[in-house]
Amino acid sequence: MPLQYVLGEWDFRDLTLKLRPPVFIPRPETEELVEMILQYHRPRINLHFLEVGCGSGAISLSLLHEIPQAIGIAIDQSHAAVKLTEHNATRLNLHDRLTVHNIEVVDSFKIPNDIAGPYDAIISNPPYIFHDDMKDLAPEISRYEDTKALHGGHDGLEVTKNILKMARYLLKHEGSIWFECDPRHPTMIKSWLDNHPETDVKFVDVGYDFSDRARFCHLKYIPTKVKT
Amino acid sequence: MFSSSSGIMSKVWNLHHYCCSLQLLRKSISCKRLIPFSTKLRSICSESGMWNSSFIPVRHHNPLHCVKHTVHTYNNPAIHMYRLFTNVQRVCVSCYSTHASFSDISFNADHVQMFFKKIKNEYDDIQKDLLSESASITGSKLKNLHRRKLELLPIVDLLKKWEEKNVELEEINILLQDSNDNEMISLAKEEKLEMMAAIRELEDEIFSLLVPKDEDDDTSDVLVEISAGVGGQEAMLFAAEMFEMYQRYAHFQRWQFDVLDVGKSDIGGIRHATVSVSGPGVYSYMKYEGGVHRVQRVPKTEKQGRVHTSTMTVAVLPQPREIDLQIKPSDLKIETKRASGAGGQHVNTTDSAVRIVHLPTGIAAECQQERSQIKNKAMAMKVLETRLYNKQLEEQQHIQRQSRKLQVGSSGRSEKIRTYNFNQDRITDHRIGQHLHNIDGFLSGGDDLNDLIESLQEYYSVEAVKTLIQDYSQKSTISE
Repeated sequence: MPLQYVLGEWDFRDLTLKLRPPVFIPRPETEELVEMILQYHRPRINLHFLEVGCGSGAISLSLLHEIPQAIGIAIDQSHAAVKLTEHNATRLNLHDRLTVHNIEVVDSFKIPNDIAGPYDAIISNPPYIFHDDMKDLAPEISRYEDTKALHGGHDGLEVTKNILKMARYLLKHEGSIWFECDPRHPTMIKSWLDNHPETDVKFVDVGYDFSDRARFCHLKYIPTKVKT
Repeated sequence: MFSSSSGIMSKVWNLHHYCCSLQLLRKSISCKRLIPFSTKLRSICSESGMWNSSFIPVRHHNPLHCVKHTVHTYNNPAIHMYRLFTNVQRVCVSCYSTHASFSDISFNADHVQMFFKKIKNEYDDIQKDLLSESASITGSKLKNLHRRKLELLPIVDLLKKWEEKNVELEEINILLQDSNDNEMISLAKEEKLEMMAAIRELEDEIFSLLVPKDEDDDTSDVLVEISAGVGGQEAMLFAAEMFEMYQRYAHFQRWQFDVLDVGKSDIGGIRHATVSVSGPGVYSYMKYEGGVHRVQRVPKTEKQGRVHTSTMTVAVLPQPREIDLQIKPSDLKIETKRASGAGGQHVNTTDSAVRIVHLPTGIAAECQQERSQIKNKAMAMKVLETRLYNKQLEEQQHIQRQSRKLQVGSSGRSEKIRTYNFNQDRITDHRIGQHLHNIDGFLSGGDDLNDLIESLQEYYSVEAVKTLIQDYSQKSTISE
C-alpha cells in the first residue's frame, strides 16, 4: 500500500493534504504545474478558475492558498474525491472560496448551471496514461489508486479532448487552459487542435518538469470570430 | 562555626573592594565577569552559616566553582575560606589576563595619537570641503563625503571630550602637588580616580567606534556546515555532539535552527550536516565557530582505553541576499529519484530528495528534509546559492586581503581553533589562548559558549583596531 495512504496524509507544496484510497495521490510534477500557473496568474488581478478532476484538491487548494483573491470551482467524477477535496478545503480553511461538485466531463457534455463560467482559467491534471501503458503500472498504483484518475483512453487524451471541446463555452476571451500531460502529448494536442479549428483554442506553451520532460501545456481560448 | 575564619572573611571583603575599585579603574570587559562574582561572594560570606548546603553549582571557569569544589574537598571551614580566597584570587587574575581589551592599546602612545590627529584633520578637511565647494562637489563624491563625515563625527566628538577630561585631570594633578590640606588631597584623589575612570571609558568608546565593520555582521541568515574530520566513527560522534551544541546554542539565543541535511552514521554520529540558522546578527556570533575543532578523549569505540585525537570542522557561511547572485537555470542540473522512467502519473514514490548541481563550478547541494519535492528543491537551491555566494565572497576577500591586509578574523578560517580535552575536562581556544573547564556545561551551548564567543568578538575587535592604527602609522611613515 502506498505510504501516503498508510499515513493518511502527504505534503503538496506548502500544504499537508489528507489522502484516502482510492483518491489519486498528487505527484511532485504537479507541484511544478502549480508553479507555472502561479507565475502566470499571480500578477493578474483576478483568478476565477475551474479545475477538472480535482482528486484530493491539491491544485485548487494550492492556488487558493497562494493567491488570496482567487476563487475556484472543482469537479471530479468520483464521489470519494469530491468528499476528500471538501474535507481538505475545510481543514485548510479555504472552503469559502472553493465549491466542489460531483460531475463527470464526457463527450458532447451539457454544462450544468452549477459550473457555468466564464472563467479565467481551466486547470486539469486529467488521466493521461495511454491504454497500452496501463498494464505496466506498479502494483501499488494499479491496485490502490482510482483507475479513472489514471486511464486516459487509447491515446491518453480522452478527458483532455473533452475539456478542449467545451473550453469555448466556459472560458473568458483569452482565458487559459492548463494541463499536465504525458511527454508525447504536446505534439498530439497541437495536431488535434489543427484538425479542430472550431474549438478556437490555441496552443501557447509547453512546460518542462524537473527531469526536462515536456509535462505541461498552456493553451488559450482565442475566438477568431465574435460569438453571436 | 566561622569564628576562626573572620580574618579570611575580611580578606574576602577586601577582595570585593578590590573588584569594585578594579571596575572603577578599568571599566573593561573582563570586569563584567568580576562584578556578579563579587556580589555573590558578599552574599555567600553573609550567609556563611548555611553555605555548605545552599551552594548552587555555577559555571566552571567561574571562580565560584572553585569554591564549590573546595567545599567538597575539605572539612575545616576556615581552610575552606582560605582556599576559596586564594582560588578566587588566582581565577580573578587569570580571568583578567586572558581577556583582550582595548586597554591593551595605549591611548597615549605616539602612533595612536598621531592616528587620531589624522582623523581630526580628515574631519576638518571634509568639513571645509563641504562648506566651501559644495557647489562643485556633486553626485557620488558628495554622498561619500557626507558618509565619511557621519562616520568620523562621533569619534571626533569623543576625542574632544577626551581632551577636555585630560585637561581637567592635569588640573587635579597640579592641585595634588600644590595642596597641603589633607581633606583637600583626599577629595582630589577621589576625583582623580573618577576622572581616570571616565577617561578610560571614553577611550574604550572611541576604540569601539573604530572597529571596522564586517559587512556580513548584520547578516541574519547563515548556513552552518558540520563535518566529521579525521578520526572515523569517533570524529562522527564528536560532530554529532557539536551539532547538538549548536542546536542548543541557537535555542539559547532564540535563533531559528533548520536542519537541511544530515548524514548519520550507524552508531549515532554525523558525517555531515547542513543547517540554516537565522536570527538577528547571527553571523557576528557564529563566524568565530568556523574552523577545525579538535577532540581528545577515550572514544566510545576504543576498547583498550587509549586517548585518541580526532577533529571535526565547522563552516559558517553567510547566506546571500537575493540581489547578489545570478544563477542561470541552464547551468543547473537537477537530480531527483524520479529522473528515470516515465514520471508523472505513471510513478508514485515518497522519495522526494532533490540534488542540484551547478555545472560551471561543479558545486552541488541537496535536500531531502521535506515531503514535498518542490520544497526540497527550493531548499537545495538556497543551499546552492549560499555555497556559490560564499565562493564568490572568498574570492573577493582574497583579492581584498592581498591589496590591503585589513581583514582580521576571516584569515584563519581553516586553522585548528579549539581543543576539547575530555580527560582533563578542559577546553582551549587557540586563538585567544583561553582555557575553560566543564566540557558538559560548554557543550550544552549556553552561557559558557556565549561567553567564549563574546571574548572572541572582543579579541578580534581589539586586533582589528590595532591593525587599523598600525596600518595607518605605517602608511604615514611611508608618505612622510
